[in-house]
Amino acid sequence: MDTIIIDGLSFALPLFIIAIGGIYSEKSGITNLALEGFQGFGAFIGAMSAVLIANAFGTDIQNLFYVALLFAMIGGMGFSIIHAVLSIKFKADQVISGVVINILALALTTFLTTQINALVFGAASDKFRLGVSERFTIEGVANIPVIGAVFTNVYPFEVIIIVIAFFAWYLLYKTKFGMRLRASGENPHSVDAAGVNVSKIRFSAVLISGLLSGLGGMCFAYSISANFSSNIYMGYGFLAIAALIFGNWRILPTLAACLLFGFAKSGGAFIAQSMALPSSFTDLFMILPYVLTLLLLIFFSKSNRAPRALGEIYDKGKR
Amino acid sequence: MSKDKKKKSLRYSLIRPISNEKWQPISIPFVSIIISFIAAAIVILLIGKNPLQAFYNLFQGAGILPKPSYAGYKSMLTDFLSLLNAMTPLVFASLAVAVAFRAGLFNIGVSGQMLVSGFLATIIVGYSGLDAIIAKPLVLLIGMVAGGLMGGLVGWLKYKFNINEVVTTIMLNYIAQYVISFFIQMYYIDPVSRQSKYISEAARLTLVNVEIANLKMDIPLGFILAIITAILIKFVMDKTVVGFEIKAVGNNRNAAKYAGIKVGRNTVLAMVISGGLAGLAGVTYYLGYFSSIQPKVLSSIGFDSIAVSLLGNSHPIGVIFSSFLVSIIDQGSTYMSSQAGIRQEISSVIIGLILLFSACGAYLKHKVSRLKEKEVDQKESES
Repeated sequence: MDTIIIDGLSFALPLFIIAIGGIYSEKSGITNLALEGFQGFGAFIGAMSAVLIANAFGTDIQNLFYVALLFAMIGGMGFSIIHAVLSIKFKADQVISGVVINILALALTTFLTTQINALVFGAASDKFRLGVSERFTIEGVANIPVIGAVFTNVYPFEVIIIVIAFFAWYLLYKTKFGMRLRASGENPHSVDAAGVNVSKIRFSAVLISGLLSGLGGMCFAYSISANFSSNIYMGYGFLAIAALIFGNWRILPTLAACLLFGFAKSGGAFIAQSMALPSSFTDLFMILPYVLTLLLLIFFSKSNRAPRALGEIYDKGKR
Repeated sequence: MSKDKKKKSLRYSLIRPISNEKWQPISIPFVSIIISFIAAAIVILLIGKNPLQAFYNLFQGAGILPKPSYAGYKSMLTDFLSLLNAMTPLVFASLAVAVAFRAGLFNIGVSGQMLVSGFLATIIVGYSGLDAIIAKPLVLLIGMVAGGLMGGLVGWLKYKFNINEVVTTIMLNYIAQYVISFFIQMYYIDPVSRQSKYISEAARLTLVNVEIANLKMDIPLGFILAIITAILIKFVMDKTVVGFEIKAVGNNRNAAKYAGIKVGRNTVLAMVISGGLAGLAGVTYYLGYFSSIQPKVLSSIGFDSIAVSLLGNSHPIGVIFSSFLVSIIDQGSTYMSSQAGIRQEISSVIIGLILLFSACGAYLKHKVSRLKEKEVDQKESES
């Protein structure tokens, strides 16, 4: 039971922070299928800086966890500029731009990883080794049954994500910037009429989504995969999109969707393990989160509504 | 003053080739391709290699240009045929994306639909020992039906329950991947290759190692079908009521509804066609280009096709050319990396760049028409 909660949380929270990035972008009116690419590229920049710094100064790569997180956020944000420029300045189709960015991210990071490994370490490996981030347990609280599992074996990034997620929630729903951002996705013309630059708002929204996705990607690299390779493109970004649509483009329901994914995933793995079935049966339990989502969507989708101006290119002259 | 004028005339000569609106659907992708090759050349220069030689090797490897020497039974023709072999599933997959796109739908699930139809065709026909005459058409039929049903399910869920097709297709991709991996590993695994057992030659849509004139070549039968299908799709989309209705729904759902077009029916229909095409991509991939299925892996074609379809303007004939180009870069990369000593991964970077720049096509078009207007204004004010 405890493992379900522990593993579920460590999967759900990075997913959640990527989904929040998606919510920012989509609430401002920019369709964002590029989350997958952002998280991968962010993780690439983070892992690369960690590996290079560890190599240059001889520090242990475990200690560079926070440095990697920082660089991942910067990297994700930097890469998201492409999506912002393409879909806001160049008025490209946002869906297409997103897909192209995913393809480019995969291609660039695989190419650069082998290239850098060959140049710096002299071995043409296609991954950066990172190891798994250290975990901590809050004594005392951890002994409470069931709830205690939340405080057991926690990755430090889970705390960071919760703090950032709270801040993101506050920014989106309680500040003037957040209100304008949400209005840009519903009725950009009224935002414009109020004397606010729609393009600027949307630009910053996309950058925020890149920043948060980079963070999420790095967390995946430091926990599940323990290295950076092209395996980071497992579809986490798409899963985050599914979660945010499921959550009806609102932060709290999206958290619920992410937790559902996380617990269904770890629960499935747990059932397969405890029944001592052969390893191929694990695959069958892996579909649990996805089947569950589809079924729940059948019941809850009727009232789902995307931001009205989502995916539309903002044209001042249009009425 | 004169310098300014020179700059202007230079700018004019640059935009002139692409200012003709009639040719823009062709000229703008063409310009994007050139720009991206220049960008790729810069990347290759940066790692200290000769870009011209690299591109030349790329075309040699794909069978467009002759190599200096060939292994036994091989020639430029065999290379070219393997190019067509690799290109066939990509054409089908990109057509699938294009049809859905025309209906305003976004089919990310091509990979999943490919896998399901490829798997079903493999276990029903591939292991059956039927004669080639029956087996090959049956494979195509199963592919089409399986893919079509899966696509139809997505359309139906969208129409009936308002479930966003992006989410459904992503979920179905995962479900297909895991469920089929389970069945392969339980019942159909080849212990040596760690893949599904190889299918019978009779069921395979590519004739392998056919000896003609002292050459051993792979003849992709699906390729001809792919070209015919592209023309057929063009005909259906441009000349029939079905195509008109699908496009009308894609352009404006509400207007289509107001005009009395059944939006729900057309949504499902478009997804059935799209899924059917994805199914054909699946059988030409798993029972043509390959002859077995690797468990737990979705083919990247499903995602590449989205971009290839865009490069071809979501137009059936354009799709043929764009998949041709992408396949050349893909197929030639092995030879290029062995000859020029450049990592093979650069090929996907080039493809990525091409797609990136072609996504800017709309902007280019917009800029060109703006410049043209300015030009006209200036001439008027001067006279």
